[in-house]
Amino acid sequence: MKRRDLLRSFGAAVTTTALASPSAAAELKGFPTQTAMSPDHLPKPAMKGGAFRVFTQENDRKTLAAVFDRMIPSDKFGPSASEAGCLEFLDDQLAGHYGEGRALYLEGPVRPETEEAIMGSPQFTQTPRQRYEAGLKALEAYAQATDGVAFHALSPDRIDEILAGLEEGKIDLPNGVQGKWFFELMLQNAREGYLADPIYGGNRDMAGWKMIGFPGARYDYRPYIEKRGENLNLVPVSLIPND
Amino acid sequence: MANWKKIGGGVAIVAVIAAAGAGLWAWNSLNTAASDVADGTTRLADFKSTDVEAIKRGEYVMRLGDCSACHTRESGSFAGGYDMKTPFGTLVSSNITPDPETGIGNMTERDFFNSVRQGIGQHGFLYPAMPYTAYRKLTDQDMHDLWAYMSTIEPVKNDIDENAGMPFPFNIRLAMAGWNTLFFDNSGFEQDAVKDAVLNRGKYIVDGPGHCAACHTPRNPLGAEIGSSYLQGGNIGKWFAPDLTANPHVGLGTSTAQDIANYLRTGSDGTAVAAGPMAEAVEHSTQYFTEADALAVDTYLKSLPASSTPAAVAMPSDTPAMQKAALAYEVNCSACHGLEGEGIEGMVPAFKSNHGLLAGDATNLIHAMLRGARAPHTHDRQTAAGMPAFDWKMNDRQVADILNYVRNSWGNAAPAVEADEVGRLRAYLGAGNKMETP
Repeated sequence: MKRRDLLRSFGAAVTTTALASPSAAAELKGFPTQTAMSPDHLPKPAMKGGAFRVFTQENDRKTLAAVFDRMIPSDKFGPSASEAGCLEFLDDQLAGHYGEGRALYLEGPVRPETEEAIMGSPQFTQTPRQRYEAGLKALEAYAQATDGVAFHALSPDRIDEILAGLEEGKIDLPNGVQGKWFFELMLQNAREGYLADPIYGGNRDMAGWKMIGFPGARYDYRPYIEKRGENLNLVPVSLIPND
Repeated sequence: MANWKKIGGGVAIVAVIAAAGAGLWAWNSLNTAASDVADGTTRLADFKSTDVEAIKRGEYVMRLGDCSACHTRESGSFAGGYDMKTPFGTLVSSNITPDPETGIGNMTERDFFNSVRQGIGQHGFLYPAMPYTAYRKLTDQDMHDLWAYMSTIEPVKNDIDENAGMPFPFNIRLAMAGWNTLFFDNSGFEQDAVKDAVLNRGKYIVDGPGHCAACHTPRNPLGAEIGSSYLQGGNIGKWFAPDLTANPHVGLGTSTAQDIANYLRTGSDGTAVAAGPMAEAVEHSTQYFTEADALAVDTYLKSLPASSTPAAVAMPSDTPAMQKAALAYEVNCSACHGLEGEGIEGMVPAFKSNHGLLAGDATNLIHAMLRGARAPHTHDRQTAAGMPAFDWKMNDRQVADILNYVRNSWGNAAPAVEADEVGRLRAYLGAGNKMETP
């Protein structure tokens, strides 16, 4: 859909709403008697034991794990991003609506020269799934060209150097991949995978929540409001606990 | 609501008996002499009462009898159309507006008496989903008043084939004649001269229009109420109607008459909150009870001998399952039901000392966990607070553990709920399974 069409459709929607007969809307009298959750409102956990559906190539997974585990390495505070399931998390997201860019506007810009200024950040016509497919290949090609080895075979220091170069916009990746913004995308997704509810595939054993002391999907904190300055020792709770 | 599984077995057997014919015995249970006091000439469609007082009294009898609960649905007031799904097919409540073609406009007052009190309608025998077995106790005066009220109902054209959804042999109305010969006590209400007027009034409402025993008395395998267990609690499939006797552990032994009156008239006594079919009964019927009638009901219930259900031994609280359940309770339940099981007065049931939830039969709690529940919407309590369903986030074991926790904490004691009970109800109620997670 073009932006102009989109705006027009808003106008049309307003008009039809005004003209439509009231009988078109479902009318609720009293109160809803059913209290079961609508299936539309239930969470959508990652596939149980699902195989990789987007990162189907082993080298892509190794490249991504090499990046993720420098962003969140294994240390005394907790497991690394890949150990906590961030690859599985991201694969599941990229296989679904997020990967399709379902919520994104993906038509070309009307005025490319001012778009970034207007929107406040760069815009993409590729879906997140396409950006990963291109981005991981570009990282691998860059390592092969500069160091002559696979990206995942680079030393931690060298990976840090490349990631820093990407973040600062000093490294250009091949095939038109904008390194800075691909770095930002991976950093955001690594954090999400590490801190999202375990039902989405990452944050395995709630390691991310334990690391930062987040108590998870609890409904009510009133019993603790008055307790200040003490360790509450709240164990984290997943939205759908395993046991 | 009748226990259809059990009644169905009875129906199959009595069908044979009906076909064979049971002679005098049958004649006695099918005798309609009690209807002779009513007029047999004027059709309802041609009659409109002008007796304002009788109409008002009749409306109250309708409330006591909870007629609208089944006969009023989307099609309009008293126009029928309520699908009652049974394991034997679907029964649909009839149109009882004065419309001659599709309602009861062609009935005379005597026909009306025969339907309500004898279970003999214009298309043949009624199914005992219509509680004529209890309505048999209605006085002639209440019936006359009800007739006057029915004449003021707006006729609605709504053609209903009540038993079209019942397969053979349950679609044979004559089979109910057999059921009646076995189980229908064809006698009116008798005042107990030894007891005072309040007790008599209470018993009249409980046994007659209120038809409390229809759910609250357990039934034998042939679907008839077990007299010796009168009002001691009955399982009606998807719900459990609790013990209404003075049993202090699982009944009303610790409730005052005023508590019970409040429950009937508002949906909550401050501890318990009605849900399921009782919420419907409160909404359509008991909230309209006068204070005097509500207290009469309670006085009568309090006079009943306590059932013999003994106190349960509380489950130990220091097991890993209980400790896990305590955390699950805090996380999922305590926001509304309270950290000490105190609930929210009049809106969310308390667990502490809520004896109706401590019976051996935990169907109500399991049902609420798996499908959610809703408090009644009454004039006094408008919130009709909802309990969400947890079928998607807890497995059978987790539901059982959390129920064992609430039934055995804060001074409560109740028998253990087993995971396979939860599993059976999950299937029976059509609840979902716990979602699969990575």
